[in-house]
Amino acid sequence: MVFLVVFMFQAILNQEVKPVMESKVVNETEKTHQDTVALSPVEVFSPPLDKYTFGSTIQNISESDLAIFQGLPLSDFLQQRTGLFLRQYGSGMLSALTMRGTSAGHNAVFWNGLPINSPSLGQSDFSIFPVGGFDNASIHFGSGGALYGTDAIGGAVHLTNKLKFGEGHQVRIGSVFGSFGRWNQQVEYSFSDKKFSARTRIYRNFSENDFLFRNITKMGTPIERQSHARLEQTGAMQDLAWSINPKNLISTSVWWNETNREIQPLMGSNTIDFQSDRNLRWVLDYFHFGKNKVWNLKSGLVRDDQLFNNSFNQTIQYFLAGDLDWEISNKWNSKSGLRITEIQGNLSTYQAKESRVELYQSTNFRPSERLGFSVNLRQLVFEGNLAPFTPSVGGEWKVWRNESHQIHFTSNLARSFKVPTLNDRFWVPGGNPELQSEKSWSAESGINYLFKKENFELSQKITVYRMKVDNWIIWLPKGNVWSPENIREVHNSGLEYGLEANQKAGEWDLHMKVNYAMTRAINQTDISENDRSKGNQLPYTPLHKFQSIIMVGKGTFSTFLNYQLVGERFSGTDGSGRLDPYQLWDLGGNCNWSIRNLNGSLGFQINNLFNTDYQVMPLRAMPGRNFQLNLNVRI
Amino acid sequence: MKNLRLLLPLIWLTFFVASCNDDTSGPSDIPVGEFEKGVLIMNEGAFGVNDGEVYHYDPSTGVIKEDIFRTKNSRPFGGLIEDMVEAEGRMYLVANTGKVEIVNPKDFSLLGGISLGLNITRSLVSVNQKLFISDWGPYDAGFNNLNSYVAVVNDLNGGPIAKKIAVSSRPEGMIVAGNFIYVACTAAKKYDVISIASETVAASIAVEGNPTRFLEIEGRLFLYAQDDNNAIFHEINPGNYALVRTVKIPLANPTPIVTLGEGSELFIVTSTGFPDYTDAVAKVSVNTGQVINGSFYTGSGLYGIGFKIEGKEIYVAENNGFQGKGSVSILSATGQKVKTLSVGKGPSGFIFK
Repeated sequence: MVFLVVFMFQAILNQEVKPVMESKVVNETEKTHQDTVALSPVEVFSPPLDKYTFGSTIQNISESDLAIFQGLPLSDFLQQRTGLFLRQYGSGMLSALTMRGTSAGHNAVFWNGLPINSPSLGQSDFSIFPVGGFDNASIHFGSGGALYGTDAIGGAVHLTNKLKFGEGHQVRIGSVFGSFGRWNQQVEYSFSDKKFSARTRIYRNFSENDFLFRNITKMGTPIERQSHARLEQTGAMQDLAWSINPKNLISTSVWWNETNREIQPLMGSNTIDFQSDRNLRWVLDYFHFGKNKVWNLKSGLVRDDQLFNNSFNQTIQYFLAGDLDWEISNKWNSKSGLRITEIQGNLSTYQAKESRVELYQSTNFRPSERLGFSVNLRQLVFEGNLAPFTPSVGGEWKVWRNESHQIHFTSNLARSFKVPTLNDRFWVPGGNPELQSEKSWSAESGINYLFKKENFELSQKITVYRMKVDNWIIWLPKGNVWSPENIREVHNSGLEYGLEANQKAGEWDLHMKVNYAMTRAINQTDISENDRSKGNQLPYTPLHKFQSIIMVGKGTFSTFLNYQLVGERFSGTDGSGRLDPYQLWDLGGNCNWSIRNLNGSLGFQINNLFNTDYQVMPLRAMPGRNFQLNLNVRI
Repeated sequence: MKNLRLLLPLIWLTFFVASCNDDTSGPSDIPVGEFEKGVLIMNEGAFGVNDGEVYHYDPSTGVIKEDIFRTKNSRPFGGLIEDMVEAEGRMYLVANTGKVEIVNPKDFSLLGGISLGLNITRSLVSVNQKLFISDWGPYDAGFNNLNSYVAVVNDLNGGPIAKKIAVSSRPEGMIVAGNFIYVACTAAKKYDVISIASETVAASIAVEGNPTRFLEIEGRLFLYAQDDNNAIFHEINPGNYALVRTVKIPLANPTPIVTLGEGSELFIVTSTGFPDYTDAVAKVSVNTGQVINGSFYTGSGLYGIGFKIEGKEIYVAENNGFQGKGSVSILSATGQKVKTLSVGKGPSGFIFK
């Protein structure tokens, strides 16, 4: 089932220009080393994530997009500024991303190329990824199992650090002050010359989170102040890169992040839970640049400690990977690799060890300037068990191009999988060691239209997809014990639309972005004779999500108005437990300033402008109108 | 005064006209409340969503009214409903998420509630115009409940907790008999006896099995308990709270889910639990101490049971894995399925009116 797809201009760039840009960066790096006079900033090489993704949709989120969210959870950005929907269990609480109607564990998350989903939970909590803990984010929509491995059924998210050579000394200070005791503080020092780059960043993010809300579970539905929802996050990052010579580069990053939270109780509930998450991530890359070849040896560590009340759970993942990215000719590119993962789980009810080995092969073929194809293959083996073999094939066709217009067609067919989590298999009681991997087939097509004339640019993309996910694991009660089973089959289909327009008019800049996602995720299975789930939308999956932002700027000033609409959701698999749709508006302004050697920006924004009373998840109170002041200083 | 003079004849006239009405059926003059007849179905709700709700089913018309608390009060119940108790002209909806909502049983309009100071609330009885509420108390680090209590509220319409009477661990069902309130404490394997006069624990008596609720069987007071292989019925002398005798009925995997049928017959839900998960309804007799039928009905996710005297029907609630709505199977006296109802999430109990 292959459909028409369209790409946005950005997506085209991802497919076409980026690989070129990356090789250009390598060349510039080499040139910099040879030329002692020039010292212009050059990005430290990192493997392009989107090189073998012809036919896929990728959205890049830059440092400037993230700037006003400094210290806030990445989940806030994704919820407010994209067409993605996250299941947000309260303000600043657990936030699980769902992509294309799949579940929270059906997307892979990477930090500098290391998969960081918890192997015991099988997912990531996006509320504890603070903006500032990484530089850029990329979102791969749709199945990416062949490219990324386990979990990437609905999509993948990549968080990356971007170091530069040749910038000298820099100090950056970022502060955010806001309602409900919000105070985020970040300090960064970096130094780089043409061969060496180092950066240290520390941060602390705090919120009393004592917003007002209407308690609909109490007589008279009184307005109450949220209690027991305080958040405190501290962290540090260290990045180093050393260009040994034009042919050899070493880079490493360490990220320590600690989040201590009072868990916001449901309305009308008096639970007093505490959760502490400590995450250590370390990656070491060695690159060797040969003629038309880039060798990469990667190792890393991801350690997640979670203390929930008195229950302690720890997982440690060790990674060793190597690959060869080879430009065989102008038409052919190939990447072959191997990744070994050793997992240790010290959970509150069990201990487990697991070894995973995966082989992958990616190939790009460009028979002409107008055509490009990617073929990806991956086979993962865990503890002697073969995960589903995952191939994918995608293509892009530049149908038409003249001075003002461009039209591209894209299409992709992919298989993906998810290895059952450690908890799925080993949790005591209830774990089911017999579980099979979840598996999916996905097809998508799109069309991308770009128009450019004088000072006006417009890009639009529309993507349609269909997906079938089988062996979907759900936990069901067996008396007093809950146990997982490969029981569900889900057929997903949907449409994603994106629009971006820019107009320059004298000193004025006008910018508009629109994202819309229509997501159908239809359950195909009943678990019992009386179950009425078949044919219904999966729980907490809005059929519609719309988001748009309009920005107007003049000189150093800019303002924005952001809008999001989230459609109705259901808490039950049979369409029961309806949650109302909601609409939110945010308004803000920003001013860039410069005083002698200092420069920076000052921003102010009002979130939830109309004080809308809403719930993302049932009975999880969310804040009303709130204010935020951002101050960034660069020395 | 002039107005009063005009008004009095009008009032007399009204009474006169009313007295001339030839309809002499008496009590039917008072309109029957919407929910005064039929079956109230308690749906516990799903953990973490707290979407407990009450449904009303009219067997004569087959009409089901969903979430009648929300319909009447324009807001969700917002809790996991553990018990539903009708007493003193009021309906008490007890949430194990630490609150009690009090509604008018006729139409479910809100009368009051208790929302502060409770923890894991289980059940409620009323006596002497006071409410006594069993509560597990908070969990400790090992998920034990060592500070369980019965909370006393001095107003039938709720309000603040006047005092807490410490009881043995994990109090569940209660009953008022004689001068005492009897409390089944399941984790402690005891029944505690609270003196109504002094509002203190007069005795704490150990029993065999895990006691969960009290039953009045043919005029005698029994405490139902269960272990892995037996349904256990402890007969108690309500006058002096002494344990009189114990009837052990050999029955594998009985659960606390039980309802009284005809005479001394009871229907008990059994469950093999994890991993060989098979649920069933067993029919037993306390008088004979025998299992009449160990597989009166079989299914999965059996979560509540009730016996409708009129028609001798057995209502079996099934949770359908808490994935969506639950269902209720209505069985004939011989165990044949007569009808299936689609109800709320996690149906767990019934009140037949």
